[in-house]
Amino acid sequence: MTVNLDDIKDILSRVEKPARYTGGEYGEVISPPSPFYFCMAFPDLYEVGMSNLGIKIVAESFRRRGYAADYCFAPYTDFGDAIKKAGVPLYSLALKKPLAEFDMIGFSVQFELCYTNILYMLDLAGIPLRRKDRASKNYPLIAIGGPCAVNPEPLADFVDLVFIGDGESVDADVAALYLECGGATEQFFRRAAAMEGVYVPALMEVKYDKEGHICAFEGDFKPRRAIIGDLDGAIFPATQPVPNCESVFDRSIIEVMRGCYRGCRFCQAGFIYRPVRRRNVDTLTRQACSLIASTGYDEVSLNSLSTGDYPRLRELIKSLKASLPAGVTLALPSLRVDSFDADFAQDARKISLTFAPEAGSQRLRDVINKDITEDEILSAAESAFDIGYSAVKLYFMLGLPTETDDDLHAIRRIVDLIKSAYGRKARAKSLRVSVSVSTFIPKPFTPFQWEAQCSEEEVEAKQKVLRDCLYIKGVTLSWSDYFTSRLEGVFARGDRRLGKVLERAYELGCRFDGWTKDLNKQAWAQAFEDCGVDPAIYTRERGMDELLPWDFIDIGMDKKFFARERERAYGGVVTGSCKKGCAGCGLQKICPAARGDR
Amino acid sequence: MIAFKYTKINGAEYLSHLDLLRHIYRTLRRASIPVNYSGGFHAHPRIFLNNPLGTGIKSVAEYATIETNFEGDFMERFNAFSPAGVKCLKWAKVDKNQNYANCIVKCSYSAEGIPPFDIGRFLAQDSIVIADMRGREVDIRPRIYAVERQGDALLFTLGCGENNLRPDLFCQYLCSQFGGGAKNILKTASVMSGDEFV
Repeated sequence: MTVNLDDIKDILSRVEKPARYTGGEYGEVISPPSPFYFCMAFPDLYEVGMSNLGIKIVAESFRRRGYAADYCFAPYTDFGDAIKKAGVPLYSLALKKPLAEFDMIGFSVQFELCYTNILYMLDLAGIPLRRKDRASKNYPLIAIGGPCAVNPEPLADFVDLVFIGDGESVDADVAALYLECGGATEQFFRRAAAMEGVYVPALMEVKYDKEGHICAFEGDFKPRRAIIGDLDGAIFPATQPVPNCESVFDRSIIEVMRGCYRGCRFCQAGFIYRPVRRRNVDTLTRQACSLIASTGYDEVSLNSLSTGDYPRLRELIKSLKASLPAGVTLALPSLRVDSFDADFAQDARKISLTFAPEAGSQRLRDVINKDITEDEILSAAESAFDIGYSAVKLYFMLGLPTETDDDLHAIRRIVDLIKSAYGRKARAKSLRVSVSVSTFIPKPFTPFQWEAQCSEEEVEAKQKVLRDCLYIKGVTLSWSDYFTSRLEGVFARGDRRLGKVLERAYELGCRFDGWTKDLNKQAWAQAFEDCGVDPAIYTRERGMDELLPWDFIDIGMDKKFFARERERAYGGVVTGSCKKGCAGCGLQKICPAARGDR
Repeated sequence: MIAFKYTKINGAEYLSHLDLLRHIYRTLRRASIPVNYSGGFHAHPRIFLNNPLGTGIKSVAEYATIETNFEGDFMERFNAFSPAGVKCLKWAKVDKNQNYANCIVKCSYSAEGIPPFDIGRFLAQDSIVIADMRGREVDIRPRIYAVERQGDALLFTLGCGENNLRPDLFCQYLCSQFGGGAKNILKTASVMSGDEFV
């Protein structure tokens, strides 16, 4: 069965941006009939998901193996409510196949605030939310992957499989195993659980002590993160669909590196994608040219966690400029101030430049291992001003471990120094500075995974300090909503007891929690209350000897390394980049940088 | 310059006007058909479309002019690189911007699902007042040029541009009077004040 667009014409004609739901993108792949159907699901809007490179890589990995792969994004509430009312099941984009008819649905889970959208999509697909309600019935396997898979426990009640780590090969291996076992049999789950990069929540039991802390993980396996060694040989789609309606990053994306050398202590991505692996200049040039020719985009984005650390960046830019058609611009979205180079920033329209010092004082930057100095920030800003920039965006965090009001006041000092650097020469326009301050959220698999998350009173007091000291002409300040950060923090370090809260919140109408206008705070508060779960037990400081909900996953790094890094943070000791020397995180055996390839 | 007539069908009817413009721009880039750019800080390609069509309405009579010095078979090249529902039907080299947004004065449509009614009596009315999409009262009678039945389909010609009447609004009005539900609204022709390609 497929869904016919003409049958839902009335719905399509009255919703916002109907092109999100029609498929038919230029470059879309309509998979031929296949023994295995995989639906790459993304629990956020079309225009967000279409900008994501990872889902295209995973879909491609299934296609290369001869399996069918299609996409599905979370429909906005207008369309979702309308199809539910009309009894039309959620369908995939190209094949228009109801999700329930796929063999596996894999959700790419980018952040915690999209968890309710996973339930929302399953509900629209007519698939029971809980794994036990699907057992031994003919429903698709429900899988998750992406950064949130490193602590999948809050979703444990709902999913059959968790893909941890690089998704290029193992996801499709599971499809092969499924076919070999003749479906989702007990044997299938046993064998899948033994594969690198796969975790089967049903095969593990969590035990709690009298205080409600985790005291044991019972299961005869240890899920290990899948890590691919070579990015040059890794699957990369040569063409990508061009979204029907403008997406958030409407451009071609190449992945320059995976992983980050820096090890900033708050940054989960900086650890869970280790070790750093790079693509070489030829591969990247070939991929960029293929994407530009097949999509018609006029911009290529050089993505990684810190593109300035790519050792041959200058050579790469030269090669791209020589090979790409004239008029194609390059975007370098993740440049650190210490790698900022006027040459790299020449191409883009000189409007606004973003720097992320993360903390105001040198002391606090040392605590978080953000290895940059005030001088580096200022000299980067000055070279940007000299080539024509007249606006800077500065990203900071508040609520970091050991933070005091002095650290917050130091943000004012940086702003003042940047302003005077701008004023040192005569410039055509007046300077605009925007300061954006988010709330620090401790994340699993970081040296700060044990830290307490600041309370509402503390965060509000800190935000007030900033509002008072940054009330100056030409400076705009924005800060993040406390409730949102807390919810993210609860689920980031949550365990499987949160499953019922999630389900209750969805019942009460929560979805699109990451979109401020849609976040229903009352419903969330009620869901925690109805389930008798106190969110504070998840935001509290964890004991060093406590079993953490994600401790059963082998991410490749040593828990002792994180503990060591936490000690160094308290001592204000900078560890610095892996380029300077190996800090012994536990991945030395497979890390190119540890072998001297930096 | 090149002027061309193209379709907006097979799902492309759901593209907004701005997204359609982006798709045509990207099609031209993929096809290596060069387009001139406007000067200025935010340079944009010189592509000129006719007036926006409501999303959900299909068309086989959209028009555009582009500033280009392309030599070769435009239609073949364009169609090799365009999305499935956006296909060139005919084209010509022209001397100036055809300004389709202004010179298209009427459009003909067909629609299904509207039950038979007395067309003569309907057209004999002096005025037909409806509430437009913003709730304002407008007399649509002067904007209706022809209505005719052909089998299951109703064919009608409505004003465009300054004198615009949306076909979906028109069908909605008919269904409110005579029942039924309009579907498959299709723009079949654009009537211009001059020639198609000048």
